[in-house]
Amino acid sequence: MTILQICQWLNDSPVGTSIRESDFSFDLIETAHVLGITLMAGTVAIFDLRLLGLALTRDEVSDVAGQVLPLTVAGFVLMVVSGTLLFWSEATKMYFNPAFRFKLVLMLAAGLNPLIFHRTVYRKVSIWELSQRTPAVAKTAAIVSLALWTSIIVSGRAIAYFH
Amino acid sequence: MYLLPFFEWLASTRLSEAMSASVWAFAVVEMFHLLALTMLGGTVLILNLRLLGLRLQRRPVQEVARELSPYALASLAVLIFSGALLLIDGPLRYYSNAAFRIKMLLLALAVIFSLTLHRRAIRSERNARIAAVISLTLWLSVGLAGRAIGFI
Amino acid sequence: MKLRLAVFVAGASLLAAVPALAHHSFSAEFDGHKPVRLVGALTKVEWTNPHSYFYIDVKDDKGNVVNWGCEGGGPLALSRAGMKRGDLKIGDTIVVDGYLAKDGSHLIDARRVTLPDGRSVYGGSPGDGGPPDTSATSKK
Repeated sequence: MTILQICQWLNDSPVGTSIRESDFSFDLIETAHVLGITLMAGTVAIFDLRLLGLALTRDEVSDVAGQVLPLTVAGFVLMVVSGTLLFWSEATKMYFNPAFRFKLVLMLAAGLNPLIFHRTVYRKVSIWELSQRTPAVAKTAAIVSLALWTSIIVSGRAIAYFH
Repeated sequence: MYLLPFFEWLASTRLSEAMSASVWAFAVVEMFHLLALTMLGGTVLILNLRLLGLRLQRRPVQEVARELSPYALASLAVLIFSGALLLIDGPLRYYSNAAFRIKMLLLALAVIFSLTLHRRAIRSERNARIAAVISLTLWLSVGLAGRAIGFI
Repeated sequence: MKLRLAVFVAGASLLAAVPALAHHSFSAEFDGHKPVRLVGALTKVEWTNPHSYFYIDVKDDKGNVVNWGCEGGGPLALSRAGMKRGDLKIGDTIVVDGYLAKDGSHLIDARRVTLPDGRSVYGGSPGDGGPPDTSATSKK
């Protein structure tokens, strides 16, 4: 089965169709998706700002991580669930939508960034956070994170502009 | 409402014509509006969670507020500025939109509350929980009303 | 190493998007200063969220038939405006008032639809700067 065929199958399925033609479900799911950006990206931005030494600097990096990142994860779950349902209802259109494709690739990168970060420089956080100087690599990860999530939000919004 | 002449005047300005003539201006402005709302939402959420005693408890409330307020205020400024540009793209369309009116009312309430009672609760640490709940409710409502604009 | 990775990712993303770009128009908005009235036979109806779409064949001055898209609200908005799914049948001639897409494509932001039975369904609100109400049988 090709990817397009899978998209068409999802699109035409009862679940996809009922969301797409609904009076309320689509709007509710989309609202959760749009406002969920705050929970996910708004919180990770604050952690990134901490890494860059621009906010909550009196707190240890690992403290901020422990306090803030669980919110980010909750937000991410919300985004994935609502996003999957939205995609399900418009899968065929999304297959052909350049902004959506771009967004997917960006999300892969956005997933790789924290993976690399947490497995490398963050492993030693208890050592470098005491010196109050965040390693350049960690700061790079923060900038990449901010740039990626900004681009993801922008391309997500741009989906609507490609008919 | 007596604001109609004002909105009609807005629709007649050159800025309004420029915004509506441009293919890309609305989209670009809307992106900034969305990004600023993300930042405002993040700071409002974490600050109020601190007020509720649920996050960052190791730090004094006043310190968390001091650290996050600049970002909240900057985001709010971008939201208001970009919002004004979005409005001027089609003033009459928004004037008659019930969700827009409600959003403006809620926005005014949220801003006034944030600058007065919310600040007092942070300073004195009294009524902290209720202030946090009100703040979260108001800002969430502004966001929901904003979404509703497109549905009406 | 990181820079090369970043460039690769950016390049890959753009490449992923290019095949889809070829088929699409980018219209961020409809021009409130360009009201349009289209009359044509319905060729397709998409009763969908976030927007519904009605496609009609419109004859231009030279007699050429051009297919236009008319973007309406979602199912809830349409039913609140008084339109039901069964109101439109393929082949019906409808009149659509709306605004032209800013990018010049054959797409309008449908504000008022006049159905074959003469009923007029208005998606906007009075005084919102929308197309003037010239029909006697309009519904609010």
